[in-house]
Amino acid sequence: MSADIQFGSLPAITGDDAPRSKGNLAAAALRFGSLLAFASILVIFSLTAPYFFTIGNIGNVLGQSAIAGVLAIGLTIVLIAGGSNVVTGGIDLSLAANMGLSAAVYASLIQFGYGDATAAVGAILTGLAIGAVNAAAVVLAGIVPLLATLAVMNIVAGLELVLTQNTVVPASTDLLTAISTSDGFGIPVLAYILIGFTAIVAAIVQYTPIGLRLYAVGEFPDAARAAGLPLKRLVAGAFVASGLCGGIAGILSVSYLSGSTTGSGEMLLPVVVTALLGAVFSGRLVPTITGTLISALFVGFLVNGFQLLNLPSTLVSGVQGVLILIVVSATTLLRKREI
Amino acid sequence: MSESTVSGLGRREILKLAAVAGATFAGAGVLASASANAAEDGLSLKGKRVAISATGTDHYFDLQVYNAQIEEVKRLGGEPIAVDAGRNDGKLIAQLQTLVAQKPDAIVQILGTLSVIDPWLKKARDAGIPVLTVDVGSTNSLNNTTSDNWGIGKDLALQLVSDIGGEGNIVVFNGFYGVTPCAIRYDQLVNVIKYFPKVKIIQPELRDVIPNTVQDAFTQITAILNKYPEKGSIKAVWSAWDIPQLGATQAIAAAGRNEIRTYGVDGSPEVLQLVADPKSPAGADAAQQPAEIGRVAIRNVAKLLAGQTLPRETYVPALLANKENVGEITKKLGIG
Repeated sequence: MSADIQFGSLPAITGDDAPRSKGNLAAAALRFGSLLAFASILVIFSLTAPYFFTIGNIGNVLGQSAIAGVLAIGLTIVLIAGGSNVVTGGIDLSLAANMGLSAAVYASLIQFGYGDATAAVGAILTGLAIGAVNAAAVVLAGIVPLLATLAVMNIVAGLELVLTQNTVVPASTDLLTAISTSDGFGIPVLAYILIGFTAIVAAIVQYTPIGLRLYAVGEFPDAARAAGLPLKRLVAGAFVASGLCGGIAGILSVSYLSGSTTGSGEMLLPVVVTALLGAVFSGRLVPTITGTLISALFVGFLVNGFQLLNLPSTLVSGVQGVLILIVVSATTLLRKREI
Repeated sequence: MSESTVSGLGRREILKLAAVAGATFAGAGVLASASANAAEDGLSLKGKRVAISATGTDHYFDLQVYNAQIEEVKRLGGEPIAVDAGRNDGKLIAQLQTLVAQKPDAIVQILGTLSVIDPWLKKARDAGIPVLTVDVGSTNSLNNTTSDNWGIGKDLALQLVSDIGGEGNIVVFNGFYGVTPCAIRYDQLVNVIKYFPKVKIIQPELRDVIPNTVQDAFTQITAILNKYPEKGSIKAVWSAWDIPQLGATQAIAAAGRNEIRTYGVDGSPEVLQLVADPKSPAGADAAQQPAEIGRVAIRNVAKLLAGQTLPRETYVPALLANKENVGEITKKLGIG
């Protein structure tokens, strides 16, 4: 995580050494603690849940996490560029609805007789357009992201209703079948897509100057402005990137569900939880792409393990809630100490 | 059929037709349940793991099927693996995938949109796991246990046409045509009213939604009542299940338009209660026997695993509850 290291060495923010190192220690403890917790959950499930530790099942969880993972990564980019203040910071509430509309556009274009290429371009453009509207509302109109993306979410959900009449639009093409199949080892293609997508985005966000600037804009906007960074352009870019993720997730979801289905809005909260939980898997408790991937897998393995242990699925959302509460309160307490 | 013969077909004739159809249907039902009971002897699921995958359990029907299946698997000595997707298609598919990894002795899928679940039911079947369904007619299912939705659709439509005297505007909720039982019931409504040219479906048809079905139906019906303010301009509201009917009935009562009758399917206790209330606009509700459907599906699993051949579809009789017979039917269903 080069971004972490670079920030750690910035002299301007080091401040008083003693409390900071204490904070870092606690952050490191939390980080390794959470990784340890993740690892021990995996070990416990491997020992107790039949079929858990099989290549096919692990591949399944990766594949099942792909759609939520891609969306959460999109949200993570906005969280990085907008800062992590839950009320005034970066957030994109339109992401799940974006996925729904992009999927609906894809499935509808297939229904109208167009090919995969046109449909895929349609879905990606839909995602990008939604991202651009978010960017304009936040950067040009100056609306707080929470409200701007909430409004856009409603517009997008409405458009999806108009397009699909709230019904399932089935779609079946060669590309969709190819995405939803598994390879010779029983690992779904979606699993490879998730890993590949994460690698590309992580490379951009965590190992290029653009990524570093995004972090700077989100965490120290005044310093970034003083350094001459184009704040507005970077924030707008983050929303467009997030929109692109919505479009890509839309295509994946059409493949996974053999068409566009209703109820995409239900993805929103799990995606927000995944992106926020991701911070705990980074060294400085900030959102990172790899942290978000680990978080998505953490939630995925938890749900999967519960099912394999034959525990009621109703417990899962409760456990997710407890986890997010622990993580958010821990990070908040640590942040306070840092200041 | 000319218009004069149609209008000559009075309320009594239609009811007679319905009664004959109902009797035939009930006869078939008795046969079905008798054979189910006879075959029950010697059925066992000892040492078998049976997966029960529910699309959701927020509706009376689903919950009854789901719980009855879990109990029946246990009663026959097997181990149920029960998962509930909470009406989330993504979760449903993920659960089905994990079930395939668990390699149960059989999977029973309760409801679901066919185009969404079918590719994954095929994957389960390809993995060598027998797939049975409740209320989904999939080609990848070895047996589908269901109510006779053709019968339900026809009986409900005949009751509706009879109640409105063979003419008038009707409002139709048609939001889930992708769900096979809903499609059959709707098609049967259209088949019946084809012969009653004075019965018109108001266009556009309404779309019922999940969740917030009751509130949404209330809002949509209130709006349409405002659009057709004259008494008698709407005669009835039809829906393929009875939760939109619940919202519609409440909206009609709230607007004081009790001349309009509502029709639905499933036999949810709260709707049957409304049908029983002589002042309520609820006209009729075709009550399915979900718990029995669940038990029959599990017995079918036991039969299959014992090497028996199953029919493509197993029908469990439904009971049409109207204002006259609702007391009797709630008693039969054990929810009176």
